[in-house]
Amino acid sequence: MKKQDKIISDIRRSLSDVQNDVVDGVMKHRLDRRGLLLHGSRVGVSLSALSALSGAMGLGFIRPARASGAPGGTLRVAIATPPGEIDPVTYDSNPALMLGMQTGQYLCDLGPDYVLRPVLATNWSANTDGTVWTFKLRDGVKFTNGEPMNADAVVASVERLVDPKNGSNALSVFRGILSPGNTVKVDDLTVAFHLDAPYGNFPYTVSSDNYNLIILPANYQGGFEQSFIGTGPFKIERYVPKVGCSFVRNDGYWGQKALLDRVEFTFYADMESQVLALQGGQVDMMAELAVVNGRALMNNPNFKIVSCKSNMTSQLHMRCDTGPFQDKRVRQALALSINRAALVKGLFNGYAALGNDSPFAPVFPSTELSVPQREQNLAQARDLLHQAGVGSGFSVTLTTEQYLEIPDFAILVKSFAEKIGIDINLNVESQSAYYGKAIFGQSDWLDCPLGITDYGPRGVPNVVLSAALSSGGTWNAAHFKNSTYDDLVQQYDKALDLSSQKAVSKQIETLLLDETPVIFAYFFKTLFATTKAVSGLPATAERLYLGDVSIAQN
Amino acid sequence: MSLARAILYRLVLACITVVLLSMIIFVGCQLLPGDVGRAILGPFADAQSVIQLDHRLGLDQPLPVQYWHWITGMLQGNMGMSYEYNSPVAPFIGHALVNSLKLAGIAFFLVVPLGIFGGVVAALKQNSWIDRAIVIVGLSATVVPEFVSGIILIILFSILIHIFPITATPPRNAGALTQIYYLIMPSIPLVMLVFGYIARMARAGMIEALNSDYARTAVMKGLSFRQVIWRHLLRNALLPTITVVATQSGYLIGGLVVIETLFNYHGIGSLIFSAATAKDFPMLAAGVLVIGITYIFANLIADFLYSALNPRISLKEKK
Repeated sequence: MKKQDKIISDIRRSLSDVQNDVVDGVMKHRLDRRGLLLHGSRVGVSLSALSALSGAMGLGFIRPARASGAPGGTLRVAIATPPGEIDPVTYDSNPALMLGMQTGQYLCDLGPDYVLRPVLATNWSANTDGTVWTFKLRDGVKFTNGEPMNADAVVASVERLVDPKNGSNALSVFRGILSPGNTVKVDDLTVAFHLDAPYGNFPYTVSSDNYNLIILPANYQGGFEQSFIGTGPFKIERYVPKVGCSFVRNDGYWGQKALLDRVEFTFYADMESQVLALQGGQVDMMAELAVVNGRALMNNPNFKIVSCKSNMTSQLHMRCDTGPFQDKRVRQALALSINRAALVKGLFNGYAALGNDSPFAPVFPSTELSVPQREQNLAQARDLLHQAGVGSGFSVTLTTEQYLEIPDFAILVKSFAEKIGIDINLNVESQSAYYGKAIFGQSDWLDCPLGITDYGPRGVPNVVLSAALSSGGTWNAAHFKNSTYDDLVQQYDKALDLSSQKAVSKQIETLLLDETPVIFAYFFKTLFATTKAVSGLPATAERLYLGDVSIAQN
Repeated sequence: MSLARAILYRLVLACITVVLLSMIIFVGCQLLPGDVGRAILGPFADAQSVIQLDHRLGLDQPLPVQYWHWITGMLQGNMGMSYEYNSPVAPFIGHALVNSLKLAGIAFFLVVPLGIFGGVVAALKQNSWIDRAIVIVGLSATVVPEFVSGIILIILFSILIHIFPITATPPRNAGALTQIYYLIMPSIPLVMLVFGYIARMARAGMIEALNSDYARTAVMKGLSFRQVIWRHLLRNALLPTITVVATQSGYLIGGLVVIETLFNYHGIGSLIFSAATAKDFPMLAAGVLVIGITYIFANLIADFLYSALNPRISLKEKK
């Protein structure tokens, strides 16, 4: 037996059936190195075992990226003013979560490559049908107040989010997956999650992808802004609501210590002033940059743009139960009128990928890329309208929100639709007016015949597949009801390995492309902007990991 | 009517105005679209959580009851708790008001002498090219929106040549001089906006005074022209500017949302603007009330000053 084979078979003996399925995937060339990392880590194979396997199978060893910059210095970051109180249990804005994660940490983190990395959990595994997931916790981790991070803290942190009384956004993430009382302490460093139904992508639900699930002490009662209690590489120095905050290196951190001495966040009311502050040398980086504001920085050699792949998108949804879009041919026609390549270039300067009218963004490994890409075809679109009996066109109102690129997108949709005879009136509202009460019957978002809604990044497509498109989905603005689709989504949720996930995703993508309840025209990247002096920033969408970041001292 | 009674009378009027203002603010805030609980918890929060929060904040009570709770709280000095930040409103308002007063103060400090000087010079050189230049420059500056002048200033003095910092917020624990240094650039767009107005008022007052009999008398009794200006005419040029300063005070304290946003300054204008977008009613209402009260009292003080400087107008004679 060759040495490599012995290594592989030694490791395989310690793996479960599901974990071994991933190794089979590599051996049968269904998975590459990235697939091994992604799915191995998802089903709980440790990084060291994955690295050894990858090396033995000739795919190259996996070395954790090591910080190479010089230690010391203060990084000054411009960030939007966090709306509301910063409390990991309830926050729902990017600036708030980016601040919370400077001191707080998750069980595992979603990396730039959509691979889960162990953080406060060291490894995890599922039973054979994916209904019970067991997480082993890291030993010797302490909160900034000296208390130990243990199973009690993890159980309490999860239970806090699934309790409706606390009003956490994570409630909708856990709905149908994990119910109150089903997170169980096995021993001091082991926690078991007993799920409502089999769920192959469960580890993502307790990773940084579910941004509310920062592990807090068991006795946490709120007041995060005073303590910023956590286990991370930084600790709070000072927080002034609406003005800014600063963090210093946490020398008691369990992992590799942060390179920076301090991080200083200044809050800004809008992005233009942040761009000016970066240009004027007032800050070293911007925690968020929209393409529309950042064009001045993109061609300037003094600045670096860090772009992160994501599945962020703006869904163009059409009511399938009433109004002009009841007929799927009309929906297909509108989708065919849109020039997606022009949108990617015009709205995002190329910082986006094409969408193919399903939530399966190219960034997800389970996305089946062999489904043909829908492209602009005006003749076919006019034909379809004719067949549907609306060849002479019709008028409809597109209701949407004032947010990021959406108003521009809406104007472009209007001009594309004009070419096939659909006359679109625009109704662009403030975000709060658009979302309304966010329940059916009391929300422009959920009630309008044609709307555009922003969707944030997610590590896996499951939530969007079920909430935005399944029959009982709470965000189903298209009012799309299709039992075949619902069954497929259930199958996708249950699938534990990539090959079975891909088989289902191909069917879902094909079905959605045909039915077209929602037009997914693009998936845009998220951007950070820094000066040349800043290095080591990971390209992780909407998550700000500053532990390995360094700043060149003048 | 004695002076004390006159003052009392004006104060009572001011109080009635404040009460009316509070009602308008309260009703106005109710017209904001959307749901408070939803705004706080975000679009994807559970509907049940939203209902619970609305109940906890007392938003399911009838409007008159809500108004009574709010206004009685205000009278007891309790501005309430911010819905958005879940902490008392008063420190936010206090901090922002101090910042706004500093910025407005610097702007007034620069623009009042500049405007009066411009107006007086224009009046003395009436119809000359200097006069026309001052009037035209003043008018042109007034019509340039502050975000345009602000951006140009930032690009010129912060990005191309690093003279002034981009932000108006000084480092923590900065001394008075540093604070002033940080506030100079943000106050320039305000100076531009108000300069033309003050200069024109001062010019008109000065021209009127120059043509008056007493000016002629003063010259004829042998005073030098310089003495005439200093002793008799300047006061007349000064009077209209008091009105301008008083009427602009509301804007310069509460209306600088654009400047505050551009220079990342935490004044009361941007505070109430963000409160309005977040439907943070206690913050919004308290902020607007504070600006309203400041405005009313600035005008009250202006009235007293006016009567003190101008013997022809006396509070005592007012019925």
